[in-house]
Amino acid sequence: MSLHRMSLRRFGLSILLAAMTAATTLVPLPAAAHGERATEPYIRTRTVHWYDVTWSSEKIGVNDKVTVEGKFHLFTDWPDAASKPELAFLSNASPGAVMTRVESYINDMPAQQSVRQLEIGRDYPFKMVMAGRVPGRWHLHPVLNVHGAGPIVGPGHWVEVAGSAADYKLPVTTMTGEVIDDLQHYGVARVQWWQAGYALLAVAWIVWWIRRPLIVPRWNAIRKGREDLLITRTDDRVAAGLLVLVLVVVIGGYRYTTQKYEYVVPLQAGSFKTKPLPQVPSLVAVEMKDATYDVPGRSLRLDVEITNQSESPMRLGEFTTANLRFLDKSLDVAVAGVDPSFPKDLVAGSSLKLSDSSPIAPGEKRTLRIEATDAAWEIERLVSFLTNVDSRVGGMLFFFDAKGQRHMAEVFGPIVPVFTQLQLAQSH
Amino acid sequence: MTENDRAILKVSELSSRAIPWSRTLDVLIIVVAAFLVWSVSHISFLLLGGDWDFFIDWKDRQYWILIIPITTIIMAASFQAIFWNLFRLPVGATASLLLLLLGTWIVRYHSWQGLAYFPLSLVVPGTCLMGALVLDAILVLSRSWLVTGMFGAVLYGLLFYPANWIYMAGYFQPVQNMGDMTSVADLIGYTFPRAGTPEYIRIIERGTLRTFGDTPTWVSAFFSAFVCIFLYYMFWGLGVLACNARFFPVGERFKSIYGNKGKAAGKAVGAAVAQPGAAS
Repeated sequence: MSLHRMSLRRFGLSILLAAMTAATTLVPLPAAAHGERATEPYIRTRTVHWYDVTWSSEKIGVNDKVTVEGKFHLFTDWPDAASKPELAFLSNASPGAVMTRVESYINDMPAQQSVRQLEIGRDYPFKMVMAGRVPGRWHLHPVLNVHGAGPIVGPGHWVEVAGSAADYKLPVTTMTGEVIDDLQHYGVARVQWWQAGYALLAVAWIVWWIRRPLIVPRWNAIRKGREDLLITRTDDRVAAGLLVLVLVVVIGGYRYTTQKYEYVVPLQAGSFKTKPLPQVPSLVAVEMKDATYDVPGRSLRLDVEITNQSESPMRLGEFTTANLRFLDKSLDVAVAGVDPSFPKDLVAGSSLKLSDSSPIAPGEKRTLRIEATDAAWEIERLVSFLTNVDSRVGGMLFFFDAKGQRHMAEVFGPIVPVFTQLQLAQSH
Repeated sequence: MTENDRAILKVSELSSRAIPWSRTLDVLIIVVAAFLVWSVSHISFLLLGGDWDFFIDWKDRQYWILIIPITTIIMAASFQAIFWNLFRLPVGATASLLLLLLGTWIVRYHSWQGLAYFPLSLVVPGTCLMGALVLDAILVLSRSWLVTGMFGAVLYGLLFYPANWIYMAGYFQPVQNMGDMTSVADLIGYTFPRAGTPEYIRIIERGTLRTFGDTPTWVSAFFSAFVCIFLYYMFWGLGVLACNARFFPVGERFKSIYGNKGKAAGKAVGAAVAQPGAAS
């Protein structure tokens, strides 16, 4: 290959690289995903379990509202590697501020600020009202940010926002009576005009100095001991004038502003405490005896000992963990428990497989093998057992009595991954 | 061209042919220096100040007032020292803060609004530009880094709050939201969600120190001014150190890595590098 052709190729490559760099850095390209599968499985399966989550609409217009509500259960087997929920904040995950938060509540308490001392093992209802702002199809999740554990993301549902972003408006009236036409633009022009004024002064000051012979002549003059030529009496007067001007503008502007805004408040930064839902006596006792994850078969197998402590026969209808739901599809009441708005990709296609699906009689103790099989284990990146500091698994079991009433129980314990079919045959 | 300009050119002993080229060199160096000052000031601020000036609901009356001046004066002092010592140009602090402000607004539009859909009301920046002008002006009047540190750095820290309050006070009007009283800034922060920035990350007013106006604002401003004095001197020193850098002695092994084998060749290169310094 000739040197000329190589140079041409290099030149072409350089142009291509420059174009790619420009395209990726100069043109803003918003991200669609927001890392809901990036959180480690031990956090997603053993900290916050979201359930009964519903979305009021999957298509809204700009300024229209969508309500996300449901409950979350704080898991008893909370991993030691993650901080306990001493301080938390209810939020939402979406790609940027494409929707605005109108209201949010934990157990009917306004959740504008962080909540403290949530109780492990207890359940809390939540509600978020969001409004459409930027048209598009956005994945909307509830999130509980736990201080020291990070964001723990709930199930996400696609919500389409239709219309024009220019139509979004959020008028607010302050307690002093000032009407703000639109919160998203409020005060921006004022900031920009003032800062432009400051910048104008700065540019004038810099130009005053660089308009004259500059680098080499000034450097030479200093070396030759003639720095007296470099700053003149006029420069002194200009500097003094600038100093006075800056002080007058700042002090005068400050005095005017404090008179204009007589009532101001500092940023509000407290936290609140709320009670969990009343504790319901557990009518089903569950103890995990063994758990394996069949890596090639994408199947979680749990051997659990279940004791029915109620006076009604019970059937296991659902196993849920990390927002994934595995249903016993032969049990109508369990299938009916899935709200139509719940994301389909988080409900396993195959039925929950039970070694014995007959009702557990009152007082009966039964050892049951539960198999939850689906590619979702891989898709949701929930099988990184080898990277966890403690190889444990957790989830919630939903039982249904003869009247169709739901009873929840936690299930957790160590898990052993099975990497080959041969290992599987040996273990069972 | 003024009489003074002609005197400077005469003293510098530039030939008549070199004078126009000197002006071309000025322009080239200004452009390169501007990018250098811009990037260094911006990176330094992002590393040290960062979150404190990103969002309107982080701009509290204690830490914001304290942190922004002390994280920006370091580069202002360094560049002031460089421009002053080499060229007696009192524009280093102003250039640093002006370019930082320009860069900040570019990022606000491109990244915060363009990528994350945050409204500009959530991400309006503060600036220490007025303090920087004072710092440069006092250097001209005093011709002394010691006096500039004592008076200029104090004013740099003190002026930050009032100079920014002029246009930011409106964000601290009280509003009612979900039954609670809050500020407009808090409401903006609540309304436009930041998934990765939960409310508890903010550090808002720790401690009970208050002035007679029942606010920690001026306590913070004076403390900021006090810290600015020491940081100014420290980073002025860093700037002076940068001015004294002539060349770095290069070892034989380093030379051989770059294909410059043998002591003779090394000496020749070393001599060539050292020559401009020697001439000075």
